Amino acid sequence: METLEQIRDRLVARFPSAQVTLVTNPGAAAEHSLLLDATHAHDLALFLRDDPALRLDYCSNVTGVDWPDKEITDVTKTTVPDPAGGPPKIVESKTTRLQPGYLEAVYHLYSMALKHGPVVIRMRTANRSDAVALPSLTPVWRACDFQEREVYDLYGIIFERHPDLRRILMWDEFKDHPMRKDYVEPDDYEWEPTAHGDVLERAKANAATAENLKGGNLQPEVPQTPEAKP
Amino acid sequence: MHDHPYAFLALFLGVAIAFPLIMLGVAWLWVRFFQAAKPGVLKNATYECGLASTGDSWIQFKAHYYLYAILFLIFDVEVLFLLPFAVAFTSLSTGALLAMLVFILLLAEGLVWSWQRGYLAWK
Amino acid sequence: MSDAVKKPDPFPAAGNISDAEREDLRRNGILMTSFEELYNWGRTNSIWPLQFGLACCAIEMIAAATARFDIARFGAEIFRPSPRQADLMIVSGTVTNKMAPQVVRLWNQMPEPKYCIAMGACAISGGPFKQGYNVLKGIDRFIPVDIYIPGCPPRPEALLNGLIELQKKMKGEKLTGPDAARFTRADMPSEFPIPAYGAHDLEPPKNDSVWTPPKPEAKA
Repeated sequence: METLEQIRDRLVARFPSAQVTLVTNPGAAAEHSLLLDATHAHDLALFLRDDPALRLDYCSNVTGVDWPDKEITDVTKTTVPDPAGGPPKIVESKTTRLQPGYLEAVYHLYSMALKHGPVVIRMRTANRSDAVALPSLTPVWRACDFQEREVYDLYGIIFERHPDLRRILMWDEFKDHPMRKDYVEPDDYEWEPTAHGDVLERAKANAATAENLKGGNLQPEVPQTPEAKP
Repeated sequence: MHDHPYAFLALFLGVAIAFPLIMLGVAWLWVRFFQAAKPGVLKNATYECGLASTGDSWIQFKAHYYLYAILFLIFDVEVLFLLPFAVAFTSLSTGALLAMLVFILLLAEGLVWSWQRGYLAWK
Repeated sequence: MSDAVKKPDPFPAAGNISDAEREDLRRNGILMTSFEELYNWGRTNSIWPLQFGLACCAIEMIAAATARFDIARFGAEIFRPSPRQADLMIVSGTVTNKMAPQVVRLWNQMPEPKYCIAMGACAISGGPFKQGYNVLKGIDRFIPVDIYIPGCPPRPEALLNGLIELQKKMKGEKLTGPDAARFTRADMPSEFPIPAYGAHDLEPPKNDSVWTPPKPEAKA
């Protein structure tokens, strides 16, 4: 199978207005992927599926990634000449900028016909709040149907032209998107013998300290077994 | 006993009525003395694998069932007529044999007709 | 092995005849029993579970029904598909928040006398997935559980042990009197409110009349 750079070059040659970039995976897995832009993603996907050299006809996985807003601190070192006449000083200046976050849908494609793969493609939304629409690739690969519903359910990415976009794991009346980084679970404290993480925080808040007992933060004492009402 | 050959039927009827009444009576006594009845709206709700049932449970009756029943009836009655024929087979004249053959052929023609029309296939 | 469940009383109907004397009489061909004992004996040896498996513990429940472990020797091989014909609900597997109303509805549709076994860590308390966004932290939040079988998953022998404990509990049940069984008393509810799907969680997240979380110990 050809390398990702070659695939990228062929895609750009076929669709000159499309923006296809190579996203490298710095980890040991080295699963580099192609970032497709949302407007041409459907055509690019059709090309990937139907091209005789690639024939990527099997979408084995669709998943979502939530990239929250990130504060990046840039440290720039500038040389400032010393007014007193000594050697020039190196001054560090820090500027912080906010890198806006986005939601991402990642597709893993294999070829059953030519027995090669995987080719990983990504699509990114504009931001995490209101512009969360991406084209659905279900018309290209049927396997994306349920998986895109799962990504919609858990991340909130709205897939346009999906045949049946509704929640799949949570119920329809559910409002949150649980896999987002800013999802807050409902506070449902239960005493645990080995509390850790945020359960430990909640355990501390609920601990029977003197102030808490006075303030009445604890659950009300209700008889454990249903007794006969007098 | 041969004066009243149907007396046994009267006894049978009596037992058939008394048996379920006794069972229901025991259940009623059980509720009265030991286990208070606890009916409820949720308990008597229609079973639909744990979901709340929506919509009407009346569905359109499949007319094909009726067709199957009619065909079965016809051929069942044919079998009924074939039974005494089979019993008296060896002592029948040729004319009787021919008459029965015509009878069977007529019904076989009916079977072939309904088969060809596709009435025997379940849709 | 200590009994978690109270042993049934020595034979009450004939006064103070003890079990040893009863055994002696039985060996000589005289069988004595009481109505309650007969009723409970009939019930315990023919518990019909509801076909109700949710996750991995269901596989162990199915294994308990196979020939190697054989739940049929306890009279419980008939897993009924309809709750109206079942008298035991073995909640085996993780109860998700999405499934919880269905479990409660099925429990409501079972006629009395009915029992519930929480099999596996997930049914008892949410188990290893307790922090999950869709996991109900134990089915005893909504329905009363009689027997808890810990394990992840519990072996089929553990399920059979739980069934034996339930049989002991059923044998000790009385039909009349101040401590009569739950199913005989009209004041003890046989149907429980079904949680609704809320915007962020089930509403209510738990039934306070069925279960409250244990109070943490007071720290000095």
